[in-house]
Amino acid sequence: MTSGGLVLSPTAPLDEASQDEQDLVARLVAADAAAVGEVYDQHHRAVRAFASRLVGDASAAEDLVHEVFVSLPRAMRGYRFESSLRTFLISIAVNHARHHVRAATRRRAALSRLAFEPEGSTTDPEQVQRRKELASLLTKALDTLPLEQRVTFVLCEVEERTSREVSEITGVPEGTVRTRLHHAKKKLREELSQEGIG
Amino acid sequence: MTDDLLKAATRALQEENADDGGDGRFTRARVMASLHQGKVKRRTRLAFILPIAACLAAGTAWGAATGRLPAMFHAISEAVSYRSKPPAPKPSAAGTAPSQKPAQVAEDVPPPPALAETPPPAPETKPGIARAEPSSSAPKPTPALSSSAAFQDADGDLYRLAHEAHFDAHDYGRALVGWDAYLKAAPNGRFATEARYNRAICLLRLGRDAEARQALEPFASGKMGYRQTEARQLLDELSR
Repeated sequence: MTSGGLVLSPTAPLDEASQDEQDLVARLVAADAAAVGEVYDQHHRAVRAFASRLVGDASAAEDLVHEVFVSLPRAMRGYRFESSLRTFLISIAVNHARHHVRAATRRRAALSRLAFEPEGSTTDPEQVQRRKELASLLTKALDTLPLEQRVTFVLCEVEERTSREVSEITGVPEGTVRTRLHHAKKKLREELSQEGIG
Repeated sequence: MTDDLLKAATRALQEENADDGGDGRFTRARVMASLHQGKVKRRTRLAFILPIAACLAAGTAWGAATGRLPAMFHAISEAVSYRSKPPAPKPSAAGTAPSQKPAQVAEDVPPPPALAETPPPAPETKPGIARAEPSSSAPKPTPALSSSAAFQDADGDLYRLAHEAHFDAHDYGRALVGWDAYLKAAPNGRFATEARYNRAICLLRLGRDAEARQALEPFASGKMGYRQTEARQLLDELSR
């Protein structure tokens, strides 16, 4: 399964899949809505957290989460128990991310052109405000990266996954993951210094 | 220094988008609705395509077996060319009854069935907004007919969740997400007009005035045929 240069090909087989898990996968392949609901209940938080960090927009992240779980039955046809289900879901999110990242980037650019950012709550403490600003700054800097580097940075640095995991999710060798991360960080540093902060 | 900033920003992004405690019920309901819709589409497609394919295959086999295949093709191509000819103009039937206009559906959308007995309470903060909330005295909608009662249930669930968040929990942020989710799942649904109006109210409640103004304008201009007076009053309040 490929999409926009990102490949879903987990490489590390799990030792063995439990009977329950095999049953669940069989139900998913049969597009059993209850099975999708079960998987959603177990993993939606992880998928949502990743989606929010990747696209930097709550609404676009929800759309991405929706798309991941709707496309799950079809995607499960290619699942061979070679990675955990959660990793597999993140892979699906990566493969569907391009459109959502592009849409969120466009929306952010339009909002900043119109200087029409939604106002934050005035009751927030100063620290929370600072955190919001920093996160927003990094999200804008991430908008300048190619999708592959953006995904790698979010998975490695924000989600703190090992390069092996990232390699499983993105389907590229670990060396490529490290190279992409290096380039991403370099570009992000440049972007942040151009913003005059740092 | 930039390194430190990058680290701080990374940490901020990590914390900012950590699990926010939201249970994702709206998206779950949306996923279920989409899956159900997909299943219905597949079934409908199969219900049409399979009999047609079966007839075609059986007809071809029968034609081949009896040696009438060329004659059949000829007859079919003639029929097709006859159908593709422009139809002769019909004499205008003066006095013919005009086509019936479809009945107005969901002129005003009430709470979902389960909540019908608990009318939404009037909001208390802004007087201008309070008048705009849907009231229980509003006329009941005509139930819309649908080919799939189960799908109605799925988007009905979304509507109910949003309604609870808005009128019971008064959690306007969650309600906004709910109305958005409902409108995404059923942009032309039975309750779409009401959902759009309630969404505008949520935006007002959240202090997102510019977006609220934009959302209310179609109502105030009468395009939506719903809550025009209230929407105008709200826009007046906003422009003060």
